[in-house]
Amino acid sequence: MRHPADPDDPEHPAAPGVRPYLRNTGPGVRYQPEPPPAPSPGPPPGSSGPPPGEQTTSLRPFVLTSGRVDGLDPNIGLETQVSSHPGALSARLSPEQRAIVHLCGEPLSVAEISARLRLHLGVTRILVGDLRAAGHLDVHVLENDFPDPETIMRVIRGLRSIS
Amino acid sequence: MDFDPYPDNRVVGTARVPSGPQRTAPPVPVKIIVAGGFGVGKTTTVGAISEISPLTTEAEMTMEGVGVDDPGQASSKTTTTIAMDFGCVTIDHTLKLYLFGTPGQTRFAFMWDDLVRGALGALVVVDTTRIDDCYPAVDYFERAGLPFVVGVNTFNGQLGYNLDEVRWALAVRDDVPIVQFDARFRGSVRDALLVVLDQALDKAMKMRS
Ligand SMILES: Nc1nc2c(ncn2[C@@H]2O[C@H](COP(=O)(O)OP(=O)(O)OP(=O)(O)O)[C@@H](O)[C@H]2O)c(=O)[nH]1
Ligand SMILES: [Mg+2]
Repeated sequence: MRHPADPDDPEHPAAPGVRPYLRNTGPGVRYQPEPPPAPSPGPPPGSSGPPPGEQTTSLRPFVLTSGRVDGLDPNIGLETQVSSHPGALSARLSPEQRAIVHLCGEPLSVAEISARLRLHLGVTRILVGDLRAAGHLDVHVLENDFPDPETIMRVIRGLRSIS
Repeated sequence: MDFDPYPDNRVVGTARVPSGPQRTAPPVPVKIIVAGGFGVGKTTTVGAISEISPLTTEAEMTMEGVGVDDPGQASSKTTTTIAMDFGCVTIDHTLKLYLFGTPGQTRFAFMWDDLVRGALGALVVVDTTRIDDCYPAVDYFERAGLPFVVGVNTFNGQLGYNLDEVRWALAVRDDVPIVQFDARFRGSVRDALLVVLDQALDKAMKMRS
């Protein structure tokens, strides 16, 4: 044991933001991650251009959503279930919107829509929000921010039955 | 006390299902975050328990430089695209557990606000040869008040340090469980997730009372 595990040690109090930023450089090390790029002074959020190295994935999204990047509905989460209205496919839709409507005949999570259509998650959320506003989709919003004990118990029992 | 730990035949009605002709009612989704540094076994963890092979999506995250090199500096925020993988476990047709594996990065704290909203809790995966890679995740979940468990992934059955030493290095509160698990095995991942769920249940009970 190299160090006493003393939570009252003033050098290493058990509080956020004060972790000892040590890096093990002993012989047991088998992996040194590349140091992340230093935080560049610019560009600030909202200015032109994505951060260096991010060009490929950042361009297409803004085209698909007509430049809209804010106004995301915070209720549309990754796991939020989405289902389309039966008549929605006859509406005039962009190819991406049509693909979403097509996929969501059965309820599907926003994350699955994004992964299956290879659409950026932020774009998916915007398109889903637009489709809902146009009355083509139901977005099944949860009432509680944190699941209730009964729901958690059901998850626990469900997981326990996995072998 | 009105808490029934075995509400067997109860349908959880928290999803606001629009009325209309009978359509498949969606399951209530719940989620657990699997976080940690690069290459610690997050994807392996998700894949070991998921009923689908992990899917990947790309998301924007805000990154905050935590000023390790220049502690006097105000923190700088940048947005970056990260790949996130996820899987799911269907509990029954009314309830589905999602697992989201998300990277953290040494010296930078990701802002996971969207991801963490409504989450049951998090499993922070740690490789003991580079413990500090998980600091941003631990910092974030502490600040967010999200129940979390530290899962030490025993690569090749070897634990570089004992769990007390890991606890010291992480400086987490005593009530944060630190468990040892093997990301490759379903039963092991299941048990680690059950510890996360225990923490989540504690929080849910406290919120109720
Ligand atoms: N022997 C052994 N190998 C493991 C274990 N867990 C993960 N690995 C291997 O370690 C490598 C990285 O695991 P991943 O699950 O991809 O890690 P990750 O955290 O998702 O990595 P990134 O997404 O790249 O950050 C893979 O080659 C895994 O097969 C383990 O418990 N034992
Ligand atoms: Mg991975």
